[in-house]
Amino acid sequence: MNTHPMKLVTVVCEAHAKEAVLRTIREVGAHGYTLFPVEGDGSQGLRTADIPEFTNLQIEVILKPEAAALLLERLGQEHFPRYAMVAFESDVRVLRPGKF
Amino acid sequence: MDIFDAIRANLLSPAVLFFVLGVIAAVSRSDLKFPEPLYAGLTIYLLVAIGFKGGVAVAEAGIGRVLVPAVTAMALGALIPLWTYPVLRFGGRLSAVDSAAIAAHYGSVSAVTFIAATNYLKSVDQPFESYATAFLAVMESPAILVGVVLGKLATRAAGDDSGASLRTAVHEAVFGRSIFLLVGSLIVGALCGEPGMKKVEPFFVTPFQGVLALFLLEMGIVAGRRLGELRKVGPFLLAFGIVVPVLNGALGVELGKLAGLSLGGATLLGVLSASASYIAAPAAIRMSLPDANPTLSLTASLAVTFPFNITVGIPLCLAIARRVYS
Repeated sequence: MNTHPMKLVTVVCEAHAKEAVLRTIREVGAHGYTLFPVEGDGSQGLRTADIPEFTNLQIEVILKPEAAALLLERLGQEHFPRYAMVAFESDVRVLRPGKF
Repeated sequence: MDIFDAIRANLLSPAVLFFVLGVIAAVSRSDLKFPEPLYAGLTIYLLVAIGFKGGVAVAEAGIGRVLVPAVTAMALGALIPLWTYPVLRFGGRLSAVDSAAIAAHYGSVSAVTFIAATNYLKSVDQPFESYATAFLAVMESPAILVGVVLGKLATRAAGDDSGASLRTAVHEAVFGRSIFLLVGSLIVGALCGEPGMKKVEPFFVTPFQGVLALFLLEMGIVAGRRLGELRKVGPFLLAFGIVVPVLNGALGVELGKLAGLSLGGATLLGVLSASASYIAAPAAIRMSLPDANPTLSLTASLAVTFPFNITVGIPLCLAIARRVYS
């Protein structure tokens, strides 16, 4: 099967950062994303995810490597100082490169 | 009835006892947990039920009688951040943006505190204007907007996109789901009037007490989990979270009397002034003043002021009103 290299960027952030992160994701040229509520613990304290406003979100987006680098750079500059957030990229392979 | 009897009557109501049970569950690290959709469902039920009931009452009373007290309530909401901001900034030595954020939380209102207050007034047979829900609806947003503007003015030197973030705050404050549901149900209730009420009464009125008790159990867990954060906010905010609601409560009662409300109605306006937002304000402030520290404002409003009002603040407002009206 013929697969193509892409980057998967994963963002875990507080629910209140949702709009800001999604805007940045659109602006770097992503064609879509997947989002789900999660809970966990970290440097900014336990996220109990007990009510929707205090939950944590995991946002996953598959991008071309250049776009992924740009997204991580912009997240670091614009959002890391303000919101509770981590972001990282990993290598993935996709079937239809034109989709991303 | 003296103040201690009033507080005891409140503490022994199912809603408050379940709230305490929730706090105990959180503090004792019980694995009791509400599924998130249940919380969301209970919120929708409570907001629609009180919105609808308030709307029917507005239709009964006529908009003319509601107008003056509603405008008073709105003005009060906008005014509270203006006096609490300097207290936080200079008394508490907090940063400008944190002061603005906390001031917005305290000017805005908590719907659950209001609902608990109406419940309490019913339990002590104190009549009140049922259209007071309209005050709840109009008091949520003004304080958030004033708080955001205060924060923007204070941080303007830092040079950021105030236009865009003010727009997001306005959108969140006016179309956020709690205010949207409440205002929407008020309008639906006002259009349906008493005949509409008869149709939905078995669903929206009879089970209300039970739903409120269940919701406060969950709120007890949510507030109890944040008690650990109290160490981070310091003694000033702890005192602020208790003293300011009492002062605002007295202010609300006085203005309610001036606006021509009955003793019960003035008590509710007092409770609204005393309450602090922990849903609408955090969402709007987080988006428009992201540099403010959310732990400070949320812990003060959710872990200090909310439990204080639910247990002591509400009967205290009634006691203040009884003194003012005697």
